[in-house]
Amino acid sequence: MTEFVTGGNSPHINTLRNIILKWAPLFVLASLVLLFPIFEWLEDFWRGKDHFYLIDSRFFSIRNASRIAVAATPGLMIAIGVTFIIIMGSIDLSMEGTVSVSAVIFAFVFIALGGTLAGWAWLAIPIALVVGGIMGFINGFIHVMFRVPSFMVSLAMGFVGTGFALVLTGGDRIRVEDELFRSLLTVRWLNFPIMCYVAMLALLVAWFIQSRTTIGRNFYAVGGGEELAIASGLNVSRVRIMGFTLAGIFFALGALMAVGRIGIAETATGNNFMFISITAVVVGGTALWGGIGGVLNTLVGVLIVNVINNGMVVIGLPNWLQDGVLGVLVITAVVLSTNRKTISFVK
Amino acid sequence: MSFIKKFIEAETFSRRNFLLASAYGISGAAAMRMFGPSPIMAAEYNDPTIAWSYRNRTNPYWNEIVSGGEAFVESLGKSKGFLTHLINEGSSEKSLADVKALLAKTNGELALAIDTNDAPNARPVVEACVDAGAYVSTLWNKTDDLHPWDFGDHYVSHMSWSDEGPAEQTARILLEAIGGKGGVVHLGGIASNNPAIERLNGLKNALKDYPDVELLDAQPADWDTQKANQVMQGFITRYGDEISGVHCANDTIGYGVLEALRAEGMDVPIVTYDGNPQAVDLVAEGKILATVFTNPHWGGGITASLAYHAAVGHFKPSEEPHEHREFYGPTIFITPDDALEFKANYLENVPTYDWTDFWGPSNGQIMYK
Repeated sequence: MTEFVTGGNSPHINTLRNIILKWAPLFVLASLVLLFPIFEWLEDFWRGKDHFYLIDSRFFSIRNASRIAVAATPGLMIAIGVTFIIIMGSIDLSMEGTVSVSAVIFAFVFIALGGTLAGWAWLAIPIALVVGGIMGFINGFIHVMFRVPSFMVSLAMGFVGTGFALVLTGGDRIRVEDELFRSLLTVRWLNFPIMCYVAMLALLVAWFIQSRTTIGRNFYAVGGGEELAIASGLNVSRVRIMGFTLAGIFFALGALMAVGRIGIAETATGNNFMFISITAVVVGGTALWGGIGGVLNTLVGVLIVNVINNGMVVIGLPNWLQDGVLGVLVITAVVLSTNRKTISFVK
Repeated sequence: MSFIKKFIEAETFSRRNFLLASAYGISGAAAMRMFGPSPIMAAEYNDPTIAWSYRNRTNPYWNEIVSGGEAFVESLGKSKGFLTHLINEGSSEKSLADVKALLAKTNGELALAIDTNDAPNARPVVEACVDAGAYVSTLWNKTDDLHPWDFGDHYVSHMSWSDEGPAEQTARILLEAIGGKGGVVHLGGIASNNPAIERLNGLKNALKDYPDVELLDAQPADWDTQKANQVMQGFITRYGDEISGVHCANDTIGYGVLEALRAEGMDVPIVTYDGNPQAVDLVAEGKILATVFTNPHWGGGITASLAYHAAVGHFKPSEEPHEHREFYGPTIFITPDDALEFKANYLENVPTYDWTDFWGPSNGQIMYK
């Protein structure tokens, strides 16, 4: 957890505020995990049923933990991708289109090459990752070469991706029914499906890139102060393009997880991931103007979002309240993480 | 320059009609109610233009509707291209403007099938057609106070679907399958959508006859597979083995539910709605207990056919009973027993319909609440 404020650009690194900021996401997550069982306890209490807090909780159980983990996996991959971009102080909104295109191309290639991981169809996995990488590269290239703001380029590329996926599928769904591929979901080690371990591995790789490689440190350099980075002789354009490409690859990984989870690739595979991933990154404590945060923050953020989604249904609150609560959380997180003394104006 | 001349002639003609109609509208609106048919002569046309006005073709549902319209035109021995397409792209204003333009162009010699995009737009469209002497049949959208029989022959028919009845039927199939006791959950569409409301009501109606079954929970899943998957996971945590059946608002939701159940190794009967090809396959495999098919192909063809056959005088709409003027579209239930037969008959080969059997597959007169 020492990596939480890696490369932070605040001069007062150990002030109380910074300590709170560093641990707030984890604190929120822990509180939520302990909060939902209270509602369950209350409900059973009113009904006059015996209920020992936490022990009898349906929410606070290993089975439910694995459900939350499964629900979180695709979102985690996508949020990790966008974390790199947000650390650089840019934004990538192309995830929905990139996920749909990668998912659909993966499914087409997978079926065309025999439809089972035991044969040549495994090639579909690297191909999908390359497709994601290409989409990301185009984002970064246009952003840097034509000096178009990243949110505009990526939003537009997202629409292009969704449209392209629709053209490819003609609105149809493609079922991926290979037992071996679906074992991502159906086979469990220690109560958790394989896809959760794959996601942990990907998180480890992302953490390694972020903290143990030059490119990872360069992301922080660009986000922490671009002028300074340029003055130090850093090729910022190259760093940005590499960042967007890396994000695209993680989006494609998210697409694979999404297909693994429901066994269907379609244009709608990417739906809703924009809101979930950006929310997760911000709630996890990565600052929108760059330089602060990291993939471990994102893990906590993704878990917060999914614990809320799951917990709301478990305690029987109406669905529309979930979006509202998440919205309030996003604003709270941004307000908390904004150091108003160092920012002169907001546009 | 003849086209300009024609256009001016058409314009003057339609303006004259319009003036006549408005003059009549002021003086004789009450009289119309008493004497029935419109005073503009119920002209019968030899070869009216046939048009379909709809949202667009990229939506699979509307694509089916329009392909039915084309099949009907072909059954008349004409080419597909004979059908005029008015595409409103979801704009009521464009829908009305296009209809008026086509009325002017065809001098009212028009058989129009239309979904007016929203209910309030149906009245101006129908009135424009009636005033110009064209024949119009509507699908889906109209207000409850607008009735074909108030316009004599020119407003031929209206067809819609009520999802409440069919959703109640699938619910009954589900409730029978779980032995009439236990708990069920419902995963709905976008909460404010009319079909989503009707489909949940259908389940509630069926539950009245099964006092031992509890509706554990009903949450919107926004017609979305992934959302449905997550909501179902929440339901499984909250209710676990109390869930003995799942009622889904459509097929797409059903796919997400099936995968959530599969991840838990649970085997619980589910019913869905819409009759998508993939859902039909799952019904055949016994993974879905039942789904409902509303046959948009037939709906699109028969709506055009009704307008056309009224326009050429093959039947006189005003002599038909009310249940032939406003009626529900067909619903076909698909269960494991007949899924393969259904697939062969409806999905792999589109059946050749008798487009003069106007009301055979329909489902009774529309009832208002």
